Amino acid sequence: MKAKKVIALVMCAAMVAGMSASSVMAADMPEQFKDLKANEAYDFPMMVKSFQSTYWDAAQEGMKKAADELGVTYKAQGPNSESDIADQVNMINTAIAAKPAGLGLAACDTSSVLDALQECADKGIPVVTFDTGIADAPEGSVVCEVCTDNTQAGSVAAENMYNSIKDVIANADGQVIIGEVNQDATGQNIQQRGGGFIDKMIELIQADGKTVAVKGNEFYVNAAKGADAKEADADVVIQVAVPAQTTVELCSTEAQAILSQENCIAIFGSNQTAAEGVLAANANLNVLGSDAGAGDVIGVGFDAGSIIKAAVQDGTFIGAVTQSPLMMGYYAIYALTAAANGQELEDVPTDGYWYDSTNMDSEEIAPNLYD
Amino acid sequence: MGEVILTMKDIDKSFPGVHALDHVNFEVKRGEVHALMGENGAGKSTLMKVLTGIYQKDSGSITYKGKETEFHNTREAQDAGVVIVHQELNMVGDLTVAQNIFIGREPKKGFSIDDKKMIEDSKKLFQELNIEINPKEKMNNLTVGKQQMCEIAKAISHKAEVIIFDEPSAALTEKEIADLFEIIRDLRKKGLGIVYISHRMDEIKTITDRVTVMRDGGYVGTLITADSTKEDIINMMVGRVIYEDPKEHSMVAPDAPVVLKVENLNAGKMVQNVSFELRKGEILGFSGLMGAGRTETARALFGADPKQSGKISIRGKDGQLREVTINSPQDAVKYGIGYLSEDRRRYGCVVQKSVTENTTLATMEEFTSGIFINKSKEKEVSEKYVKELATKTPNCEQLVVNLSGGNQQKVVIAKWLTRDSEILIFDEPTRGIDVGAKNEIYKLMNRLAAEGKSIIMISSEMTEVLRMSDRIIVMCEGKITGNIDISEATQEHIMNHATRNIN
Amino acid sequence: MTKKKKSILSDQRFIVLLVIIVLFAIFSFKSREFRQYTTILSMLDFSYYDLLMAIGVTFPLITGGVDLSIGTGMVCYALIAGSLVRNNNLPVVLAMLLCIVLGIIVGAANGVLIGIMNLPPFLATLCTCMITRGAGSLCSATPWPGLTQDGGWFHSIFKITVGTGRSASRYPIGFLWMIILVLVMEYVLNHTKFGRYTIAIGSNKEAAALSGINVKFYHVMVYVVCGLFTGLAAIAYAAVTPTVQPGTGAGLEMDAIGGVFVGGVAATGGYGSVIGTLAGIFVIMLLKTGLPYIGLQANWQQIITGAVLIIAVLIDIMKEKKAAAK
Repeated sequence: MKAKKVIALVMCAAMVAGMSASSVMAADMPEQFKDLKANEAYDFPMMVKSFQSTYWDAAQEGMKKAADELGVTYKAQGPNSESDIADQVNMINTAIAAKPAGLGLAACDTSSVLDALQECADKGIPVVTFDTGIADAPEGSVVCEVCTDNTQAGSVAAENMYNSIKDVIANADGQVIIGEVNQDATGQNIQQRGGGFIDKMIELIQADGKTVAVKGNEFYVNAAKGADAKEADADVVIQVAVPAQTTVELCSTEAQAILSQENCIAIFGSNQTAAEGVLAANANLNVLGSDAGAGDVIGVGFDAGSIIKAAVQDGTFIGAVTQSPLMMGYYAIYALTAAANGQELEDVPTDGYWYDSTNMDSEEIAPNLYD
Repeated sequence: MGEVILTMKDIDKSFPGVHALDHVNFEVKRGEVHALMGENGAGKSTLMKVLTGIYQKDSGSITYKGKETEFHNTREAQDAGVVIVHQELNMVGDLTVAQNIFIGREPKKGFSIDDKKMIEDSKKLFQELNIEINPKEKMNNLTVGKQQMCEIAKAISHKAEVIIFDEPSAALTEKEIADLFEIIRDLRKKGLGIVYISHRMDEIKTITDRVTVMRDGGYVGTLITADSTKEDIINMMVGRVIYEDPKEHSMVAPDAPVVLKVENLNAGKMVQNVSFELRKGEILGFSGLMGAGRTETARALFGADPKQSGKISIRGKDGQLREVTINSPQDAVKYGIGYLSEDRRRYGCVVQKSVTENTTLATMEEFTSGIFINKSKEKEVSEKYVKELATKTPNCEQLVVNLSGGNQQKVVIAKWLTRDSEILIFDEPTRGIDVGAKNEIYKLMNRLAAEGKSIIMISSEMTEVLRMSDRIIVMCEGKITGNIDISEATQEHIMNHATRNIN
Repeated sequence: MTKKKKSILSDQRFIVLLVIIVLFAIFSFKSREFRQYTTILSMLDFSYYDLLMAIGVTFPLITGGVDLSIGTGMVCYALIAGSLVRNNNLPVVLAMLLCIVLGIIVGAANGVLIGIMNLPPFLATLCTCMITRGAGSLCSATPWPGLTQDGGWFHSIFKITVGTGRSASRYPIGFLWMIILVLVMEYVLNHTKFGRYTIAIGSNKEAAALSGINVKFYHVMVYVVCGLFTGLAAIAYAAVTPTVQPGTGAGLEMDAIGGVFVGGVAATGGYGSVIGTLAGIFVIMLLKTGLPYIGLQANWQQIITGAVLIIAVLIDIMKEKKAAAK
């Protein structure tokens, strides 16, 4: 029964997503891209991190849209999986050797591409990074960064989660636990996102006069700002888990260990893998729900994919945060074209958007919710 | 003795370059134990492989139970009742006795194997043979002797009418041999035909009824064991071969100093209390049959295999003989011993490397400064030896794999000469080398000896031993059974020592 | 004469059983949450595919070979089948069948490379490991596929859910299938020609061939059986994970192979037992599941699993030595 409903919903969502891919684009075009026209029919190599996730499909959709509008072309390339760092570096080097008018880059590993970026700077090839910024890029190589503000995206998740659990925390007799599952502690995106969530959550809880401690993975514990209590006597403990490998199964085991504690009131999975892990854990525990007052554990996801979308739709997750790969791909092509024309550029931050069952079919959100 | 059960007539078999069997005749009667004898490489095993279908004959006929037959594989031979009990036991150690006996023809019950029946049948077999073995025991847990009994039981369970024992006693204790003979006698009484291959003369005398002798792939003759002496058999084995320039007397100066002295060397079963001396400029031949322990002695001496005890003394640069400890080939090399393995491809040279690289392999440190290899010096030296040893190679960069066997051997020799080894151990130096190249190797060895190098030469070729050696040490079953000066050495003499049972 | 009855302590399966009990006791004692039905339920869920791979790879390991392609192979078959379900509306039953067929094909390819063309098993299966990894990602369109379709009966193969929502009761029926499969394969190993020749090949291939066994055929069959179980594992994998991620799978074979060794298959081949494999996998699963519960960061899990493996193999080697000394 339940499964049938889920599938119907998934199919609905998929259909909606397919229909309205273009309408967001015209809105909010940054000043620097207004009335942009390509001086030549440029062809840009676009390095994505992998073709593993539907995330990159959405990004390519945005690229295609922008390319059509500007009359340029692009070629999306990427390794098998996000951990095939060397493969990606090879592809980048091959692309540079062909002296393109510009290079779009979502680096799997930011430090491994520095040499290649130096070469771009030397050869005068403008680089636009998207999805992942490169903080220590060589001078003159990266002309524009099109990235999600991950700290902001993490805090969006915290704010929305806190709304649902505020009362539970206020009325709790004894310690409560908020869990966070991060697939790793090495990727800058996940670090910022996880950190953004923790910092915002601490801020919100303390504003209501409660004390907070952070435990679990050393990286996130050390990075957290403002925790003011010891684990033993904090009102709220934020428990951060990181699995040994970035697989759904291991994320699930970690999530299960958190969720099976009786005083766990909420959990956040900070990307698609982690969020699916949380859902897999819940398949047996069945503790997630939308009514915190009645004892449901509040779940919040990140990114999309059919499973997470279905969970948001049926209330297993109260909502999730999506990035806008579509917009990133879209703006990346715009930025490259502008750079190839010789224009000076400012970075283009893209937001993380909250979505739940009420707005996930809306025009602003749906195109970003890949399957 | 009953009627003839098996006749092999005019069996001929050639392998590329070798005439392995040259019109051989052989027959077995019911109720007889028929020994098959001959030197290494005389063709005994080949003959038996032809019989049991492992090889196919080129011509000749096999008549089994009155019908002309040809087996195409061991399976067919087994099914017909011709079974071989191999020298190396062919047992699967992790299976039980019963499972081994019935391997390949397990009784089935539905989809699964009927283990109960197998165990019952095995028990019956053992009863028949008067052996006490638990069929449920794992093969690995049995002694070698018991494992052999299982092999025999397996053979009999095939309803064997002809059983071939290929050196069955090699790994057995005296008690086990006695038990084995008991069983063989029993089988003989039951009318089976038994072929018994062995080097042990006294066993032949004890257990066999007739002896067929082979030499160089040919049939020499058949004797009634009871009517012939040990010497008769040995004479037949050795034959009247005219060998080229046998050494008449030792070339070693009477006052030549001892450069290597080995006392009571023990290493496993194959090296027992071995003692000998090697003098400067001497070529010391090591003779014996396959498995006599010659290579094992050399490897133990060289530190390639562990040894239990023994004292090795080597003459130093100052002319003093003093005891040394050799625990690894590195030690041996340090003391100036070079070892030229019988299996060049496996141990002797790195075939995928060039002549130069092989030549300097054992002396790398002399050609390096810091971490860099002095290529020009390396080349110079290897070119010098190519010239000196007349190695046929287009240049020193040639990969060794592309050289002929004789020239590969020369590269290995060059390696040890570069090392300035005073003692060289040649293990089967001419195996797999054609006649012309053989002569060159012989000349080279003679020259090396004349220059004052001392050589230990292990060889299974009688002519080679008699031609090259100044003195000959004969080994049998891990012990030295003879130490003969070349002036007294004859084939018969050596063979007598090589087959002497020391028990 | 050797002793009639061997001490139960010398049976590695018994030692492993003790280890399981001890681990379970430690985790239960240290963590209240661990000793819940749902924990065991989840542990079982994620053990099925590991166990199925392990049962399969037990056979190559007994022959002294290995199959490194099981992890990526499993994910590859699930991806291909899942993509067809998703994009072409392939019925789930056919998708399951496809997983098995693909497993057998790849297994046969491994078998031919190893048994007939004499490639070293490590090399041959490393190649098929890479191939299946690439092929899986290639054949699946980017959405992460699963194997679920109308009715949701697919998941009930491994877990029966009675009722809905929080009041639902869940029964890990998959465990029953696993026990049955383990017993069947234990029987196959010990009481059929295939099993016996598998041991014979691992123990003394030469002797097996001289005994008139068609060694090549059985050597190929060993890998076919391994492939078959990899196909079954693909089904179990698709049943317990929400979606199958392309590009993953590398490393999953190590859990399975590790479990087999913990379960007492000789590191050099020649003997082993499927029941031992079952026990070995549960040691691995317990470590995987239990360590997060007692608050150990998951990297420890791999360190500790590695240590357990070393100990298991050392026990095996010491046993061999003792046997040789007899």
